[in-house]
Amino acid sequence: MRRFLDRYWYAYAMVLPVVLVTGVLVLIPLAQGVFFTFTDINEGNIANPVLDRPATFSGVGLVNYLHVLSGDPAYGSFWSTLARTLVWTFGCVLAHFTIGLGLAVLLNRRVRGRAVYRALLILPWAVPSFISAFAWKYMFNAQYGVINQALRVVGLPDPVWLGQSDWALVAVMLVNVWLGVPFMMVALLGGLQAIPADLYEAAEVDGASPWQRFRDITLPGLRAVSGTVVLLGVIWTFNMFAVIYLVTGANPNTRILVTYAFERFFSGASRDYAIASTYGVLILSVLLVFVAGYRRALRGQEAA
Amino acid sequence: MAEVAYDKASRIFSGNPPVRAVDELSLDVADGEFLVLVGPSGSGKSTALRMLAGLEDVDEGAIKIGGKDVTNVPPKGRDIAMVFQSYALYPHMTVAENMGFALKLRGVAKGEIKAKVAEAAKMLDLTKYLDRKPKALSGGQRQRVAMGRAIVREPAVFLMDEPLSNLDAKLRVETRANIAALQQRLGTTTIYVTHDQVEAMTMGHRVAVLKDGLLQQCDTPRALYDKPGNAFVAGFMGSPAMNLKTVPLTAEGAKLDGLVVPLERRALDRAGADGLSEVTFGVRPESLALVGSSSVGMEMVVELVEELGADALVHGAVRIGGAAERFVVRVDGRTPPGLGQTVKVAVRDAGEVHLFHPESGVRLSS
Ligand SMILES: Nc1ncnc2c1ncn2[C@@H]1O[C@H](COP(=O)(O)OP(=O)(O)OP(=O)(O)O)[C@@H](O)[C@H]1O
Ligand SMILES: [Mg+2]
Repeated sequence: MRRFLDRYWYAYAMVLPVVLVTGVLVLIPLAQGVFFTFTDINEGNIANPVLDRPATFSGVGLVNYLHVLSGDPAYGSFWSTLARTLVWTFGCVLAHFTIGLGLAVLLNRRVRGRAVYRALLILPWAVPSFISAFAWKYMFNAQYGVINQALRVVGLPDPVWLGQSDWALVAVMLVNVWLGVPFMMVALLGGLQAIPADLYEAAEVDGASPWQRFRDITLPGLRAVSGTVVLLGVIWTFNMFAVIYLVTGANPNTRILVTYAFERFFSGASRDYAIASTYGVLILSVLLVFVAGYRRALRGQEAA
Repeated sequence: MAEVAYDKASRIFSGNPPVRAVDELSLDVADGEFLVLVGPSGSGKSTALRMLAGLEDVDEGAIKIGGKDVTNVPPKGRDIAMVFQSYALYPHMTVAENMGFALKLRGVAKGEIKAKVAEAAKMLDLTKYLDRKPKALSGGQRQRVAMGRAIVREPAVFLMDEPLSNLDAKLRVETRANIAALQQRLGTTTIYVTHDQVEAMTMGHRVAVLKDGLLQQCDTPRALYDKPGNAFVAGFMGSPAMNLKTVPLTAEGAKLDGLVVPLERRALDRAGADGLSEVTFGVRPESLALVGSSSVGMEMVVELVEELGADALVHGAVRIGGAAERFVVRVDGRTPPGLGQTVKVAVRDAGEVHLFHPESGVRLSS
């Protein structure tokens, strides 16, 4: 042990600040959040130094979890919200991936003005997301928005996009797809450029059609990159609060787990920190289960 | 099985000025022949091969395989298999899948693919590795997988682009022999690109020498060596390179220091017809010999002796027309001269002398 420290003290000294910062920034809030889920903490019973009021919340055991998992509408209809979250997440990531891949493949060829296209396609990423969100909100306006005007011109029905219907979910998904495609495109373009050109030539000589080359060279060659970006995409989208909140506010038709946790935390008669925290812990659990399953699936593929 | 023909085929890369990477190449390769394309780096060997594969456009002229014009046929329709310098093995497929890929695409039955892959693997000593991914193989094994992938196809023509350049020297010699033997056995027309003239000499039935996209000469290794068509081929083929010097011409022959090499009538006539007072004189190191100090010969100061075992290469300086010129002489390995010594060198046989035009490089001697 002595010798071990003698030898490696420098490495540990270097790592220590990171460990401390991580501990303070991640673990302590996490522990606090988990602790809240076993209490009835809300705005009325939390310690309030302004009113000189001590904390009066108390432990309630698993009651919060029981309430939430019962799917009671008073507690955010957990199961249907989860279902909507999954639709939202996988719908968005699927669209991100396919559109991003399509654009990356197009841009990976020698086309005139490739740099310009690339810059244009990265634009959604460079614009602050609240600006894009408001721009889209305006475009989705039922009466004056360009989208409905265009739909009317070609004679299609013009729905009230951001109203109390599933169109609102479609609308936020469209916005989020628009926002998320550039990242996928750039990441996949990097992956495409890392595939050696002679593999395509070998496949061509072996008699592969363009589609077969895509399936047998491009997709397998992108596996490492796409595994990572899809995982990141799922996590980000699952917790994508800003787009939904900025475009539709507290619309129950676009409610996903995080937006409900936020609603519970910041609005409503009594800000219910306990239920919000319970949602937070459940979100984390769902994602952990997903990541574990996903990594196992990827590893299985690798071995095959 | 098929013959291959380049008919004034050119590949021009756009640029300023445009690069004629392959310039009006005309070449006929017989069915079952092993033809080696050789030349220095950038001479257009790979481009010529890729044109035949259909990976590079043919900007002028035509290419025929088996008598059929394939100039505008995509690679898929040409019935060729190619071994790449990098091997280009599919990294996510096992050895067996790599080798069977082309057959799978063609819709060959699974059992048949397996049998063919097994047969090729046996031929190439790869049976043990069929389930491995390429990254778990050594360089030599990868090279064999690349060969196997070509063999399994049973194509009309094999194309190989420097397939041995990533192997170490010993393995290269071994694999060289294996490829030649395999080609002999399969009898498949093969076009083989290399920059290594030893490979070219040892493997090819015929060798085509390229320079700057232009075909210099195409003949059997022996003929290229004995009767190089121009000074470039003379200098390129053979190791160590032929001694090529510009020397004054007299009525009796070529004048080197203290030595007048008699020249054949025909060469002298041709030189005379062009009004030449100088010629490019070429003699291979083994056509020179050390002679006794009393004999007629050039005086050479020994600067370097490379001992190769059986032979030794003696590098030295000879004064020709006032300037020191370096010559290489191949001598018996047992009795090399010492450094700094002055030796006398003579031409073994006047018939082994090559004469070229000093400007165009065209061969003057017969
Ligand atoms: N895609 C291209 N665009 C422009 N010029 C090219 C291209 N490919 C090759 N060239 C040029 O064509 C010439 C011939 O190239 P090539 O690759 O055929 O040479 P090589 O004989 O195979 O050389 P090496 O022995 O180094 O492989 C070179 O001058 C090269 O710069
Ligand atoms: Mg090359």
